[in-house]
Amino acid sequence: MHDTDVLVIGGGPAGAVAAREAKRTAPALDVVLLERDAAVGTPVRCAEGVGDAGLREFADPEGAPWAARKIRRVIFLAPDDTEVRVAERDVGWVLDRTRFDAFLAQRAASSGVDVRVGTEAAGMSRGTDGRWEVRLRSARGEETCRARIVIGADGVEAMVGRWAGLDTRVPARDMESCAQYVLQGIDFDPDAIYLQFGEGIAPGGYAWLFPKGPGVANVGLGLVALKADGRNARDYLDAWIARRYPGGAKIGYTVGGVIAHTTVKRTYSDGVLIAGDAAHMINPLSGGGIVNAMKAGRLAGRTAAAAICAGDTGAGRLSTYHAAWMALLGDDHLKYYRLKRALEGLDDRFFNALARTVNAIPIERRTLGRIFTHALVKHPQLIPVAARFFI
Amino acid sequence: MPRTQQPSEIAVVDLVVCDRCGLCLPLCPPEAIHLELADLVVDRSSCTGCRKCVAPCPVGALAMVPA
Repeated sequence: MHDTDVLVIGGGPAGAVAAREAKRTAPALDVVLLERDAAVGTPVRCAEGVGDAGLREFADPEGAPWAARKIRRVIFLAPDDTEVRVAERDVGWVLDRTRFDAFLAQRAASSGVDVRVGTEAAGMSRGTDGRWEVRLRSARGEETCRARIVIGADGVEAMVGRWAGLDTRVPARDMESCAQYVLQGIDFDPDAIYLQFGEGIAPGGYAWLFPKGPGVANVGLGLVALKADGRNARDYLDAWIARRYPGGAKIGYTVGGVIAHTTVKRTYSDGVLIAGDAAHMINPLSGGGIVNAMKAGRLAGRTAAAAICAGDTGAGRLSTYHAAWMALLGDDHLKYYRLKRALEGLDDRFFNALARTVNAIPIERRTLGRIFTHALVKHPQLIPVAARFFI
Repeated sequence: MPRTQQPSEIAVVDLVVCDRCGLCLPLCPPEAIHLELADLVVDRSSCTGCRKCVAPCPVGALAMVPA
């Protein structure tokens, strides 16, 4: 394979946006986007939910073929099944990730990015000229590609970061083990997402239902194995579905890990940037990562292109990417992480009582601000939680 | 990463059960798990037998065996 200026490894939202932004920033540069699987967007390892405002920074979801469902409400379920409806407008969307990732990759290709599917990065080392030599494997055999900057957007596996000497390991307590079915023929509000907490339901995480259409939804959960009773994520999910959606047909199934941690200490090295799940850029409270990945990809692509044009791809210059990410979202994730850790100390009884407190607020006045204020007044044990969040 | 002591047991991946999600990779303190053509493989010589990868596997594909 010919050598390139920017080699992006991983064809998900982080990689596709990074590749496109690099090419748009400096059209004269060669940019290659690698996807290991035979098609971008497969297999789907994602609940596919995304916030409205963040998504719109990158694409208009109205009428788009990759937008499966608009979400207008969030319904929290306490451990004892008490429903709490939070009235909001334009909450978000449930995507069709296979189509969405293909849309992003196609847009990168239209900008002049060389998109290669079915090509896996197997390792990399630095050449004498300072460029990275990346070993590639595909059906055509093995080859080497030299690149001035490698962008690692390779998801939870994060091998690019490891090859570059960055620490991408995760403590077990911050790894959410997830399982999900696509369930068909079940009854729910198709304009709402459902989230349920509970020590016996999804210890250290939550169970979810994200609608893909009337009667069809992604139904899954994430849990922290250290808090579980010995059963794995699929066992917990089967039990939850048997209780709540016993008539549903399981027409799809996936598993995966969500890193509910904070951004890795270093997201850059000489000639290397890492972005998205690979750099632990997931919101540690919600587990959401699609928009974060695209925002990081945008920063990474622009930083890489500008660095090559300036003739300096060293770690010192690339550190501006890390600083920009931390200012944009990374520092917020430190706060969300503290809140996550504080909430872990609260038990089912507390969440059941909180649900009843919130339901006493009339639904039209049930804004997150009022919920928070009422919760603090009625449940003073939350005050240290709130204090830890804001300090 | 070299280990200092020979463990009594090490982790293995059941590739029939494994869904190739990659969740176990960043959990491994000595970075002993890697990919071989999308299959997850534990390096016998660097696994320390810490078991950190076993319970989090969503499908139970990792197990300990005598070293």
